[in-house]
Amino acid sequence: MNQASTQVVLPDLGEVDGAVVVGWLRCVGDAVQEGDDLVEVETEKTTFVVSAPASGRLAEIAVGEGKRVQVGDRLGNITGG
Amino acid sequence: MEYRQTLEVQRSVHALRRTGKVPDVVLTVEHDPVFTRGRTARPLEYRVPLDVVLRAGIPVVDVERGGDITYHGPGQLVAYPIVDLRQHGRDVKRYVGTIEEAVIGALAAFGIEAARRPGFPGVWVQEGKIASVGVYVKDWVTRHGLALNVGVDPAHFGMIHPCGLAVRAVSMNELLERPAALRDVEVRLVESLAHGFGWRLELREPDELEE
Repeated sequence: MNQASTQVVLPDLGEVDGAVVVGWLRCVGDAVQEGDDLVEVETEKTTFVVSAPASGRLAEIAVGEGKRVQVGDRLGNITGG
Repeated sequence: MEYRQTLEVQRSVHALRRTGKVPDVVLTVEHDPVFTRGRTARPLEYRVPLDVVLRAGIPVVDVERGGDITYHGPGQLVAYPIVDLRQHGRDVKRYVGTIEEAVIGALAAFGIEAARRPGFPGVWVQEGKIASVGVYVKDWVTRHGLALNVGVDPAHFGMIHPCGLAVRAVSMNELLERPAALRDVEVRLVESLAHGFGWRLELREPDELEE
């Protein structure tokens, strides 16, 4: 079955030197709605909530807690709708 | 004011800001003693055993802001800017810089020279750290913010490594011959924030925000 897939990426947070994944708020397999809080990252003493870019199922967590990521990096994947 | 109570006020104003029902808001408060632990707090941040902290009757609250453990209490001015960053360049680093510069501007009005330190968020004087920052951003709207030590009980601060660092927390009144009144510092800080964000100020009570 061919399902639509949407990447979850770290949005452009401005002039920051990347961010660290603090934790995922949902588990692989969870149904998510577009706009749901999905994963928290931290930079500059700031917790930034990355929301789900699409509705569907969280199919993959590509970057786990404690890992450093850069703007545009893929954090995970959402499939279906 | 009790910490959890202000957390509720922050969250409700944050929701109003996200839906555009209010303009940018800055809440100012002086808290009852509390330790708050940010998202990256570690257990090693207490200088004294945890039971000593608990016996002192100071609550410890886990919060969603960035950063480590910090202390809030009497003699400390806390400001929570609820700001829509979509209208201020969508830049987390610039935002933190703006609030740090606002603190520096307010301190200058009292003759205190302070600065930012690259890689160490917060505001610093020669003797140590005078203000801390810790922010939470959801849907590009901020909450939490900054804490400026005006005249804080050093015994309380002595229980922790502020923000996980082995640095000294400094109060304005240690540096001033004539102690500053919290209320005067509040006025200066709010004016300084307004200057930094380009706000025109209007004074409101939290329950009078919505029109």
